[in-house]
Amino acid sequence: MAAKLATRPRDQLPRSRRGASYLARRRRVGYLLVLPALIALALVAIYPLLYNLVLSSRFDVATEPGTQHFVGMQNYHSLVVDPAFWGDLLHTGIFVVISVTLEFVAGMILALVVNRKFRARGLVRASILIPWAIPTAVSALLWKMFFDIRSGFVDFALSALHLPGAQTVWFNSPVLAWVPIILSDMWKNTPFIALLLLAGLQTIPQEIYESAKIDGASSWQAFWSLTLPLLRPAILVALIFRTLSAMLVFDTIFVMTGGGPGQSTEVIAYYNWYKYMVSLNFGYGAAVAVVITILALLLAGIYVRILRQREGFVT
Amino acid sequence: MVSRTRAKRAGMGILSGAILMGALAGCGSAAQSSGSKTVNLVFATQGLGTEAQATQQAVKEFEKLHPHIHVQIETLSASSNSAYQTLVTDLNSGSATPDVITSDVIWPPTFAAAKWIMPLNQFHPNMSRFYPGMVKAGEYKGKLYAIPWFINVEGVYYRTDLVKSPPKTFTQLVSDAKAAMAKNPKLIGLAFEGNKYEGAVTVFQDVSGGFGGSFLNSKGQPVLNSPQNIRALTWLDNAIKTGLSPKAVTGWEEGNVQQAFLSGDAVFATNWPYLYPLAEQKGSAVINKVGFVPPPTQGGKPTASLGGDDLVINKNTKYPKQAWELVSFLTSAKTMTQRALISGDPPARTDAYTPALLKKAPWFKQEEAVYADATPRPVTPLYPRISARIQEALSATYSGQLTPKQALDQAQKAVQAIVSGHGS
Repeated sequence: MAAKLATRPRDQLPRSRRGASYLARRRRVGYLLVLPALIALALVAIYPLLYNLVLSSRFDVATEPGTQHFVGMQNYHSLVVDPAFWGDLLHTGIFVVISVTLEFVAGMILALVVNRKFRARGLVRASILIPWAIPTAVSALLWKMFFDIRSGFVDFALSALHLPGAQTVWFNSPVLAWVPIILSDMWKNTPFIALLLLAGLQTIPQEIYESAKIDGASSWQAFWSLTLPLLRPAILVALIFRTLSAMLVFDTIFVMTGGGPGQSTEVIAYYNWYKYMVSLNFGYGAAVAVVITILALLLAGIYVRILRQREGFVT
Repeated sequence: MVSRTRAKRAGMGILSGAILMGALAGCGSAAQSSGSKTVNLVFATQGLGTEAQATQQAVKEFEKLHPHIHVQIETLSASSNSAYQTLVTDLNSGSATPDVITSDVIWPPTFAAAKWIMPLNQFHPNMSRFYPGMVKAGEYKGKLYAIPWFINVEGVYYRTDLVKSPPKTFTQLVSDAKAAMAKNPKLIGLAFEGNKYEGAVTVFQDVSGGFGGSFLNSKGQPVLNSPQNIRALTWLDNAIKTGLSPKAVTGWEEGNVQQAFLSGDAVFATNWPYLYPLAEQKGSAVINKVGFVPPPTQGGKPTASLGGDDLVINKNTKYPKQAWELVSFLTSAKTMTQRALISGDPPARTDAYTPALLKKAPWFKQEEAVYADATPRPVTPLYPRISARIQEALSATYSGQLTPKQALDQAQKAVQAIVSGHGS
């Protein structure tokens, strides 16, 4: 009934129900309208989060049924003293810094290019989005094949051009294995950054550049003093999204190296998967998930603070 | 504007119509099933192509014999890892379906320990005709939880035109391969699975057993860093280091090994029986030049890692009797023979190898000799964790991060913690 009422234009309401209580009624309708969204959010986000929090305080291993019990912080303690956890966290940190930096620089260049006027710009803009539309596992597999030593394109190109690196088994080196992983991640996610930055670029009025030109600014100066500061909100939004999703990288690594060679490309999400799916230790897995959530919230919090500090922030 | 509103309305009409239809259809089927007491079984299984075809045909025949049981086939991911995750999620939730499940031979102990699947002794199965190693792999704490569906063993393929007789020892394998490589430098001496995944563990088990090693001793304690195992891993590592195997094998899985062997590039290859019919088919460069034997030995006994699939029953199924009917039909000799003819899956029971089957697929004769040496991986619910540690050790060795001894010492320590309940 309430929903029906809201869709009815104001003047069609019965005369008796108009007047002083109108605002209150309107507010009530407003709450009712957002209620489904709130319920959905509670079901898909808040409930699992709380459930996971409770689970993380319990001993719950699938292969030992009937022994579940409350253990307080014990799962968190085992986690903190596990060197593998810190190792995987370090891998994740390095991956996030390198991949997000590279993606940001490449995305910025791409955005600046497609922001210019040229023929078939619409086509180019649409086509740079293609990698982003490909599922992560598929793009990881694609890049794994590119780097295959016997039939891969990379080895072919390196040997044809007589460059160093030919006949390298990329995935068998603890350091070099990161190259295809990061490239695959870049290929997939750079368009996303470019898209966000492009949207930001389009909100900058052309007149500013014109007056800068009149004042004698070079295009390099214009980029540093005008484009970058004005693009700041878009940059931060792009960085928040990419940093958080890079922190949770899993598919790319699972498909390409399975965490190998040895444990050298294991990341925190891989560690989490291992505890849930291999150890079937649901309590411990939940604790890892909680730690990841807290880290993600912290990072997001820092970014949002930086974002708020700027007075010229426009969404 | 007008046309858009109309289109929208029409859309809504269709939508609500569809919802109504769905509801009615739901009522219809509910009424029907309660009327004639048709039981709906969900059968979760892997397999595409000819394997799916074989499953469908078997199910169709089963339904003909049991008109009150309807079997719904739920196809799991072809990737063993993903299929496992789907099943863990379903079973852990306590769901009553799937009722019957195809399980990799290494899963039943874990599923049984978690009380996700039911012991099958209550149905008094006759296991006398099944391969004993495979039956043993389906037992947990003295009870039988899994009926073998088809068997798989990892053996050694060799080229009959390049090697006179199959090598008896690992040293001989190396010299045979080197001799062939001397004549044709383009050849790969030994193609094997070296990627960081389960397949690397089965190869290692083959070599380890041949050198006299094992993963766990008879008391269930890990003996991963035994001298025999170190010798075995050193042998595999040397294969890569000395060029007997290309460095690329460190990323290879069965498909890569298959490609290398079928294209005629490899003298020896470790792989499963599925490769045999492919090698004798059009498109293969090695037709009539293929031998398949148990791995060589050097102080140990011939060990062919046991794979294959079992059928298990969900503990929470509403229809245990009907589920058992399906399992026993699918694992009957007749159905297995038929499956072998359609898809090449090797039957898990000896009486399914009929003269007709052997005539049509003569390689089964050679394969049967390898089944005799089938050795299960450790039958314990902890196996997935143990395997993960072995995978790490192998990968760390092949990539030169650790020596075979260092890697196995590390794995031994980790597995000791797992077995004693202090590690994960």
